[in-house]
Amino acid sequence: MYMIETKNLTKSFGSLTVFENLNVTVKKGEVLVIIGPSGSGKSTFLRCLNHLEIPNKGEVFIEGEKLNTKNRKHMRNTIEKVGMVFQNFNLFHHMTVMQNVIEAPITVKHEPREEVIKRAKVIIEKVGLIEKVDDYPSKLSGGQKQRVAIARSLAMRPDIMLFDEPTSSLDPELVGEVLGVMKDLAKEGMTMVVVTHEMGFAKDVADRVIFMDGGKIVEEGMPDEFFSNPKEERTKMFLNKVL
Amino acid sequence: MDINVMKEMFPVLLKGCLITMELTIISVVFGSLIGMVTAMLKLSKNKLLVNLAGFYTWLFRGTPMLLQLFVFYYGFPYAGIEFSAFQTALIGLSLNSGAYMAEIIRGGILSVDKGQFEACKSLGFTYLATMKRVVLPQTFKIIIPSVGNEFITMLKDTSLVSTIAMVEVMRTAQLLYASSFRPLEVFFMTACLYLLMTTIFTTVFSYYEKKLSVY
Repeated sequence: MYMIETKNLTKSFGSLTVFENLNVTVKKGEVLVIIGPSGSGKSTFLRCLNHLEIPNKGEVFIEGEKLNTKNRKHMRNTIEKVGMVFQNFNLFHHMTVMQNVIEAPITVKHEPREEVIKRAKVIIEKVGLIEKVDDYPSKLSGGQKQRVAIARSLAMRPDIMLFDEPTSSLDPELVGEVLGVMKDLAKEGMTMVVVTHEMGFAKDVADRVIFMDGGKIVEEGMPDEFFSNPKEERTKMFLNKVL
Repeated sequence: MDINVMKEMFPVLLKGCLITMELTIISVVFGSLIGMVTAMLKLSKNKLLVNLAGFYTWLFRGTPMLLQLFVFYYGFPYAGIEFSAFQTALIGLSLNSGAYMAEIIRGGILSVDKGQFEACKSLGFTYLATMKRVVLPQTFKIIIPSVGNEFITMLKDTSLVSTIAMVEVMRTAQLLYASSFRPLEVFFMTACLYLLMTTIFTTVFSYYEKKLSVY
C-alpha cells in the first residue's frame, strides 16, 4: 500500500488548467521532492494531496483511504494523518508557542491536556525552541516560526508531512535551521513530500525528485542521476539556471 | 446655575443612569450574540441562511430605531403581542445592535488571514472548532475599536427609549426639567453623566485593546 497515491488528478481554476491526469505515488518513509519553476502547478498539486484545494477530477488516496469531499468526517480523520507546513507558517497568532503546538491534539483528538503538554515539550525541544515556549509568534524570527509550525504538525503524530516551500519566505541565513529540522525528520523515517527551491536539500535528502513544468511531470528520478545527468532538455535548462 | 438644585437632582439622575447602563450592557451583550450568529450565517454557504441574515440586517439598519421601538411598543399589542416597556427596550435595542454588530463581526472574520483557516483544515479542525478556537478570538482583537464605538453609540441611543415610557437618564432629565423648570442645571448634569458613562466604557475598551496587543 502506498502512503499517498493520486489517480488522474486534475485541477483547474476556471478555464486555466493547472495540471491534468497526474499519477504520483509515495511509499512509506520516502522523501519526495518536487521542484519546478513558478506556476508549474507544484504547490497546487501538494495542496490537493490534503484537499486544501479540491481537485476537479481524479482521486487522492492517503494510506489507501480515498479522500471524499462528501464524507467530511472521514476526510478530516484521514487528513489528520497528514501534517502540512506552509510557506507563510500560518501559526495561530493569538497563541504562544506551547499553545500552538498543543491546540490540535486537544481540540481535534480530545487527548488529555497533561499528556499533550508532555509530548509537546519533547517536540519543541527537538526543534530547538524550548526557551521560547511562552512567546507569541510575533516575537519569533521566520526560521523559529517555521520550526514551531513543524512542531505543531508533529504534535498530531502524522504519518506523512507535506512541505509547501517551507523556506521561501525566510532570510537566507535562517534557511539552514529549518532544513536541519526537516533532515532530522527524514532520517527518522517520516514520509515527506516537499515542494522547494532548495536544490541542495533535494540532492542530500530526497529519495526521489520530480521536476514539474506547465502542469506536467517532465522528469522523475533518483537525486544523483537527476542532478548529474538529467534526460530532458527542459530539465537541463531549469537546472542550469538554478544551480 | 443653582448648586443646591443640582444637589437635589443628582441622586434622581444617577438612578436613571443605572437604568441606562443596564440597558446598554444587556443589549450590547445580546446584540453581540445575535451579531455573531448573523455574521456566521452571512458567511455560510447556504443561500437561504445568507438571505435570511441579510434581510435582518437590511431591515434593522435601514429603518430608524425610534420607528422600530414604536412598532414593538405601540404596534405589536394590536397584533396580540404585548411587551412591557423594559422588555420592548431590550428587544428593540438588542435587535438593532445585533444588526450593526453582525456587520462589524463579519468584517472582522473576513480580515482574518486565509492561512489560519488552511492551517486549521490541515490539522483536522471542524468548521465550528476553527471559528471558536482560532478565527473568532482573532476577530475579537480586530473588531475591538469598532465594538467600543458601537457600545458608545448604543449608550446614547438608549435615550430613544424615553419615548416608550422607559425612565432612564434622559427621561428622568425631561421629567425633572418639567417639574422644576431648571433646564440649565438638569441638562448640564445629564450631559456630564453621559460623558462620565462613555468615559468609563472608553477606558475599559482601551484597556482590553492594550491587553490584546501582546500578540
